[in-house]
Amino acid sequence: MANNKADLLQGTLDLLILKSLQHEPMHGFGISLRIQQMSKDMLTVEQGSLYPALYRLEDQGWIKSEWGVSENNRKAKFYTLTASGRKQLTTEEQSWARLSTAINRVLGNA
Amino acid sequence: MKLLRQLRNLFRKRALDAEMAEEMRLHLEMQAERNRAGGMEAEEARYAALRQFGNVASLQERAREGRGWVWLEDLAKDLRHTVRALGKSPGFTTTALLTLAVAIGASTALFSVINAVLLRPLPFPDAGQLAVVWETSAQQGVKREGPAGPNFYDWREQTRLFQDLAAVELGSGTVTGLGEPRQIPAMRVTANLFAMLNVRPALGRLFAPEDGRGGRQSLVVLSHGFWENALGADPDIVGKSVQIDLIAYQVIGVLERDFWLPVQGEFFVPWPDDELRHERGRLAHDLGVIGRLKPGVTAAQAEAELNVIQSGLRTAHPELSGWGVTVVPLQSVMSEYIRPALIALFGAVMIVLVIACANVANLLLTRALGRGREVAVRAALGATRGRLLRQFLTESLVLGLAAGVLGTLLAHWGVILLSAVVPTTIPIPDAASEATLRSFEIDGRVLAFGLGVSLLASVLFGLAPALHALKTDVVHGLKMGSRATTGGRRIREALLVAEIALALTLLWGAGLMLRSFSRLQHADLGFQTDRLLTLEIELPTDSRYRTSREQGEFFTRVLERVEALPEVTDAAVTTVLPLSNQDDRVRFLIEDGPILPPNERFQADLRRVSPGYFRTMGIAFKRGRLPDRHDGAEGTAPRVGVVDEAFVRRFIPEGEPLGRFLLLGRTRIEIVGVVGDVVHAGVDREARPTLYVPFLQSPASRMSLVLRAAAAPESLIASAKHAIWSMDRDLPVYRIQTMDDVLAGASSAPRLTLSLLGLFAAIAVGLAALGLYGVMSYAVKQRTHELGIRMALGASSADVVGQMLRQGMGIVGIGLAIGLAAIFTLGRLMQAMLYQTSVRDPFALGVTAALLVGVALAACFIPARRATRVDPMIALRAE
Repeated sequence: MANNKADLLQGTLDLLILKSLQHEPMHGFGISLRIQQMSKDMLTVEQGSLYPALYRLEDQGWIKSEWGVSENNRKAKFYTLTASGRKQLTTEEQSWARLSTAINRVLGNA
Repeated sequence: MKLLRQLRNLFRKRALDAEMAEEMRLHLEMQAERNRAGGMEAEEARYAALRQFGNVASLQERAREGRGWVWLEDLAKDLRHTVRALGKSPGFTTTALLTLAVAIGASTALFSVINAVLLRPLPFPDAGQLAVVWETSAQQGVKREGPAGPNFYDWREQTRLFQDLAAVELGSGTVTGLGEPRQIPAMRVTANLFAMLNVRPALGRLFAPEDGRGGRQSLVVLSHGFWENALGADPDIVGKSVQIDLIAYQVIGVLERDFWLPVQGEFFVPWPDDELRHERGRLAHDLGVIGRLKPGVTAAQAEAELNVIQSGLRTAHPELSGWGVTVVPLQSVMSEYIRPALIALFGAVMIVLVIACANVANLLLTRALGRGREVAVRAALGATRGRLLRQFLTESLVLGLAAGVLGTLLAHWGVILLSAVVPTTIPIPDAASEATLRSFEIDGRVLAFGLGVSLLASVLFGLAPALHALKTDVVHGLKMGSRATTGGRRIREALLVAEIALALTLLWGAGLMLRSFSRLQHADLGFQTDRLLTLEIELPTDSRYRTSREQGEFFTRVLERVEALPEVTDAAVTTVLPLSNQDDRVRFLIEDGPILPPNERFQADLRRVSPGYFRTMGIAFKRGRLPDRHDGAEGTAPRVGVVDEAFVRRFIPEGEPLGRFLLLGRTRIEIVGVVGDVVHAGVDREARPTLYVPFLQSPASRMSLVLRAAAAPESLIASAKHAIWSMDRDLPVYRIQTMDDVLAGASSAPRLTLSLLGLFAAIAVGLAALGLYGVMSYAVKQRTHELGIRMALGASSADVVGQMLRQGMGIVGIGLAIGLAAIFTLGRLMQAMLYQTSVRDPFALGVTAALLVGVALAACFIPARRATRVDPMIALRAE
């Protein structure tokens, strides 16, 4: 459970990263681009939080990394969603849905 | 899984760091490319990317934190840095290490003694339940004395609170057939002793209840030492026999090596229960009684119960009137005498430790001030206060632990040294007996103490410089030319004041003990102690010396032989020597004296002596006459006796004692003379009322021979032995000692305490002086600039020295004042340990303060003089 602001944001970022890796592996730069695109430029991931989050997720075992070659022939480290990562993604999506419903209710009934 | 990954990360740190750096670099390049693609110039693109990315270094740091183990990496870094820094300043490191190592070593060594005597449980299972039981009589002025056999058995039968009670009697036996006949200390014990103590034999078996039945059994249990030394550790010893007092005793077992009792014997024979119970009077007072309390029972409860039983015994046997019972836990008995001294010594060594820490703190502070710039740079680079503090504390810890290791090594040698000089027995207060100390060694608890002390020291001396360093003003520190920051003076001076106050207190304590001890050494014992040789002879009463007449004759002849020797000035015999562990008492009434309730008697010490005793011992003769040859053997002449002044003061305070008669049972003894008091129980004790009777009127089989030599008493030993053996070849002669040796033995414990205290005080003063010297040197260095100006302006050397001295002695003065205040408050605590010396003794105080001031003066003077040697030109240029 997120119990302070930092945790809330951190958990949210985790969710975004996992989601962006749902369909295909991607390197760090690509992940930040994809989040930006998917949110239609509403969200910009601060690079300073991206990499720590990536390493944390890797420590948890939800993503795994390996070096590869990017689309323009550059070396890059690619991250892939693992099986437990997929499960975590589902869990996080569900709790996000519950959370936003709850908040909406509060705001709606204010 | 996570843990595994973290562990793996720990070992692949460098590779992971490189990967991370690479990844970030690539990300940056991609971002820059994108920017270019979006229309920026190459340079601009790159800068934009960088700006967006943020501080790469701190990013990497936080990312690394995500990996875990950051604290460990930091610790490793700190350690490496610390070791390097310490290596670069060998002078500081050596001084600090040595100072601390000595202090830690001394405290650890002392703690091993405290551990052995006060803390370590006795080597029996459930030793906390063991207690010693004594009889006591306020009326007779006896605080602790063993009971007689019948009383012991009654207690044993009637008690509900003791699991069991056992009795021992210390004696000796002549062992023959193993070389020279030797008198060996031995013990006769009730058959349940070993079972009660729950000890196991190394060989064979120990006594069982049946060994105590059916008369005196010729069975013996050997101590491990005796079995090894006298019998060559014969593995088949069980079943063989040993000749003791010309009787063959069968060996049934051997005790383990680490078996220990407060009184030591080399072998043990069983007591027949019947004999002990029936054949002795109830006032025989021979036994030592040890009991095991039932679980949950306290000594106080047991004492109350036994007193109830004893009052029942008093009703049935009126001669026991006045005798109560006291029960003291065995652990307590072992530590009573020595506890105050140990605590005082521990306090002293802790003072030394605190002073050492203060010195090292000062050293560190000075060093930290010199690194002010380094700290400022670190802070500017983003080190948090916590990080800086951690680094400083790491330094303290490394120093402290290294000193701890060194100190423990020193303590090891210290313990060996202590084992050699500490006496093996300590007196049991009020009981006229001694207990054997167990050996001390460095065990787990002592090591833990050493570690604890090292850590404590680290915190103590590490905190001050660490806290001070954190107050560093970053801007000021970064400025050019400010390599060393001033300030910290208050702390340094405060530390020094504390050191001086503590050193003064310790020195004063040592001074008082010294005075007390020297008074003890010169105390008047009532007799002349020089050139006296003493030895003990015990006549075997089984065969040749059965009757008291034979015994009396033997000693008379021995005296004649010995007096004829050229080197002997005087000779005498006595049943009890002063300051020995022996004792003999007599109960009596005074004819025409105060009427006592039925069965109550007066009691005094009894000595059976030869006529020449008083002359030989140099005891002052006061009134009347001394017994001589005409006061013949028993049965013939009227019985006479001589009393001492203590006796007169107590029992015949008014009127003339000469001519009065004392009634001992059915015997009438006339008092014919009065002599001076002689101290018996201890050098610092009072003389007890004593009655001297001619030994021929009631001979004994065991007496001490006292010889006054013309020259050195040791030279008499051979000829005295020869004289005795010329009369009877098989007679062992033992406890051959000069009176000087006896006195030295009696004072060996206080002397040792004094030596150690003096040593600690000297170390404390030395350390304080060293600290003062260091602080003054630093002060001189700091003020070089100013002093140079002064001297250039015409100040003389004397002025400069005077100024520095004033600064230094000012600190000393405050320290002395605080120290004196502490002394006046603590003074009362010391009083108990002193002999005829008051805590307010002005001499001790004056000398102590003068000594300290003198040392401090020297410590200030040397750097002060150095200040005058400063070349003004150099000083003016210095920063």
